Parts: sequence; structure tokens; C-alpha cells
Amino acid sequence: MAASMKCAWARCLSTILLNSTKHRCQISQPLYASCSNISGDSGEGGTDQTRQEAGPADDTKKHRRDPGKAFTDVRVQKILLRLTGLDLDKVYEYRAAKGAGVAKVALMSDQQLKKVYESASYKALRKLQMPPVLGAREPIDEVLSEDPELEGLNTSKLVFIDISQRVPLKKRTIVVREPNGTLRKASWEERDVTLQKYFPQSGRKIGLPRMFQQDNLECMLDDGKHEYILNRACSQFEIDDPEYIRVTQRTYEHIDGNGKFEDLRSTRHFGPMIFYFTYYKKIDKLLVAFLEEESLEDSLDLVKLYHIVHPSCKSAEKVASMPDATPLEIIRAFAEMDATQKSLVQQAIQTYEKECDSTGSTQLRR
Amino acid sequence: MALAIRFALFGCTNRPFFHIVVMEKRRAQRSGKIKEMIGSYDPMPNQDNQKLVAVDFQKLQKWLGFGAVPTKHVAELLGLGGFYPIHPMSYIKAKRKRKLMEKQPADMQAKEETQETAAIQVNEDTQPDSTEDASQ
Repeated sequence: MAASMKCAWARCLSTILLNSTKHRCQISQPLYASCSNISGDSGEGGTDQTRQEAGPADDTKKHRRDPGKAFTDVRVQKILLRLTGLDLDKVYEYRAAKGAGVAKVALMSDQQLKKVYESASYKALRKLQMPPVLGAREPIDEVLSEDPELEGLNTSKLVFIDISQRVPLKKRTIVVREPNGTLRKASWEERDVTLQKYFPQSGRKIGLPRMFQQDNLECMLDDGKHEYILNRACSQFEIDDPEYIRVTQRTYEHIDGNGKFEDLRSTRHFGPMIFYFTYYKKIDKLLVAFLEEESLEDSLDLVKLYHIVHPSCKSAEKVASMPDATPLEIIRAFAEMDATQKSLVQQAIQTYEKECDSTGSTQLRR
Repeated sequence: MALAIRFALFGCTNRPFFHIVVMEKRRAQRSGKIKEMIGSYDPMPNQDNQKLVAVDFQKLQKWLGFGAVPTKHVAELLGLGGFYPIHPMSYIKAKRKRKLMEKQPADMQAKEETQETAAIQVNEDTQPDSTEDASQ
């Protein structure tokens, strides 16, 4: 019960901040612009045009490869931020890391304290910026020139990188002259390694860290280090790297298997995790977890998210036809029509209703 | 004095490493009179069997605009990289090596490459080269 109260408070705080005029729910433009998979949608301001263009059709191969379009939809972003919540204690938890300073103690008036809390909350929202969920990048396959007469000149490859100033990493030219004389663009793996050598980014290693090898990853997951794995994956890989997708998806599946969704609550990985389950239609356990902590708003948000990401699903059409549906009716419609583990979800709904009847409140808690 | 885009040999014994620099052609490469450093070339292959070449192409073009002339080996390297057309010496060397390969086993090729590195070192020294004088 205490956990759900804390969640409710975190949710409140997040909603207040999101709705305030100071903070606009804005997707980081430079971050998304650098993701080449996403087409030119800015995702800003919920105009009708954006709503029509965004949101994938169901069961098309194209969208299975590119969740980025759905992820950058403003409505999806708002729901994910709301669900993530804002637990200041968790966000500002002490982490033993370089640069972690000693805590300051200050004597303040109530007004000053309020101001500090506000600015800390806005900074915390920035810390909760979500790494985008994208499809795997397409392999680079471009040959610039074939020169079979150069065969025999070198037994090794020649890798050329352009180190001109002020060129974004993704646009840097890296080409490879093979021993057989072919001049081709460097593959993504070659690019990552070479860029890390010449333009090192902190927190990245050249090559795959042993932690992300399959066996070691399983050990880490069994130890419960989900947040650590996801944070390290974020700093090590590009977000459209197939390795990043493999690591994050395996982590989400492990969390799903053990029901430890709350580990990631109020971290920047909660949104992408929820989006992953919603996009691949695996939200049943998640929905049950929300209902078990008696959080009707979260459950409703999850189902709404499902309807935005899969607008042609059966329950979405039904809900569209009943404009005055109560939250429980919407969740029930989803359970009947689109849940893969129907009985589990319906049982959870029944349990929730019983609990509410016993505590005497069936209304949406705010 | 002729402004050149040339290799400057650094590194140590049995471990050459070239910086691609802009400096006067006849100067000693470690005299400290480098006008600008615009890249590097590592002639020793790494674990992935790659030789890494980094070039600041913007600066390269700027100095070419000022009238700097790449030396033979730099021009060859840039040709292999696609900035220049492939140098005729690259074709000639490749053909010579292929001929040798037909006659001799594979480990002779590695020997050819170390000799190639030594040739670059000799060329970039201050010793006058008769062919280069003729071309000036």
C-alpha cells in the first residue's frame, strides 16, 4: 500500500511539472535529429497532422523494424513520462561514482526550500530523458570504387578517417581500402571502433565489453542489476545498434519474467521498457502489476498507450465507439479483446474491484 | 623553399609512426618547424589487420590552396584513400608484388612492406633526391 502511495505522489509531481508553463514536454531535438531512422517528424506540439502521420499500422513488416516513429509521437511521450513518475529520492540517490560530491547542508527558510525543490525537480526531469527506442540500423554496403589492379599492394586493409573539425560523428567519412583493391565505406562496427579511437567518448570501450556477452549478461540479470546494465548499454552503444537492442530487450524480458517492473520506476529506462512491451504486444504482466498495486491511472494509461501504438486493434475500435466509458470498462475491453493472457488480466481486474469495494472507493484516485 | 605535405617519422626503433604534416620540404622532420599537423598514418597493422590513416581534409585542402605539394608517398596514400586518383606507382608496386608472389612464398610479401616503410623514411629525410630536384 505504501508503495502505491509513493507511486501516486511521484505521478502527481511529474504531472504538475509537465503541465506547468515552465516545462514543455519537448522531445530532445538534437538527440532525435541524430537518429537517422526517424523521418523528418519533429514530434513537437500535438497538431492533427502529426497525429495522422505518426502511429504505426498493425502487422506491417516496415513498422516492426522501425518503432521510432511511434515512440516519438507526442501522445506516447506524455503517457510514458507520466508513467515513469518522478521520485526525487530515487533520482538523486547517491551513486558511488567519479564526481559524486559530498552532500551540502544548508539552513533555509520555507520559501527558499520550496525554490530549491522546484529547481531540483526540473533538473530531475532532464535526468529522466528517455533514450529513444529505434529499429536496428540498416547495414552500410556502399562500394565507392573497384580497382582489381591494386591486388597485392597491401596484405592489410587501409582505413581512412576524416578528422576535420566540427563534423558530427554520424557524418564523419570513414572508408576502407581492401587488399583486393576495393574502396568501400566502413561498416557500422568498423565506424564505431574507429570513431572511439579518434574521438573517444567517456564510458565507452573499444569492442564489446565482456559484460554484454550472453553468459555474463545472464549472470548480471540474475543478480538484479537491470538499471546498471541499461545505463551501461546506453553509454556503450548507439541506440540503433543491434547489440544495444539485443541487450535492452533481453533485460526487459528478464524483468517481465520476474515481475520486477518497479526497479526501473522513476528512471529513464521505464518509458522505453513500457514502450517495448506495448509495441510488441506483451503488456499483460505489466498491466497485472499495475492493477495489483491498485493504480488505476497507470493501468488506464497503459491501455491508452496500447490503443495509440496499435490504433487498429479491436479494443481500440470498441473504446472509440464508447466515449463515456469508465476506466475499468476500457481496461476490461482490452482484457476481453486484445490480451494474450486473458484469464490472468481478468482475474487481476476482479481482484482490484474486490479491493476497491472493500475500501469503499471505486472512483479514479487523483 | 617548397611547402610540402609530407610524412614526419615519429615512433621508435622497430615501431614507425608517421604524422602527416605541412612543412618545408627540405627540413629535418623532427626539427620542430612543422607548420601544421593534418593527420597520421600508422604503417603497422593492428589486431583487425588495419592500417589507420587519419587526415583533416579541410586543412589539407586549405594548404593545397596555399600551394603546398604532397610528396610521392603522401600522394600515393591519398590516392588509395580516394582523395586523389590512384598514383601510377601504386599500380606499378602492386604489379611487381604480384609477380614476386608467383615466384616466392607469402612471407616474402611482409618483407616487401617493411622495405616500403624504410623507403618512406629515407625519402622524408633531408638527403637530396635527384629525381625530385629534376621535377622541381
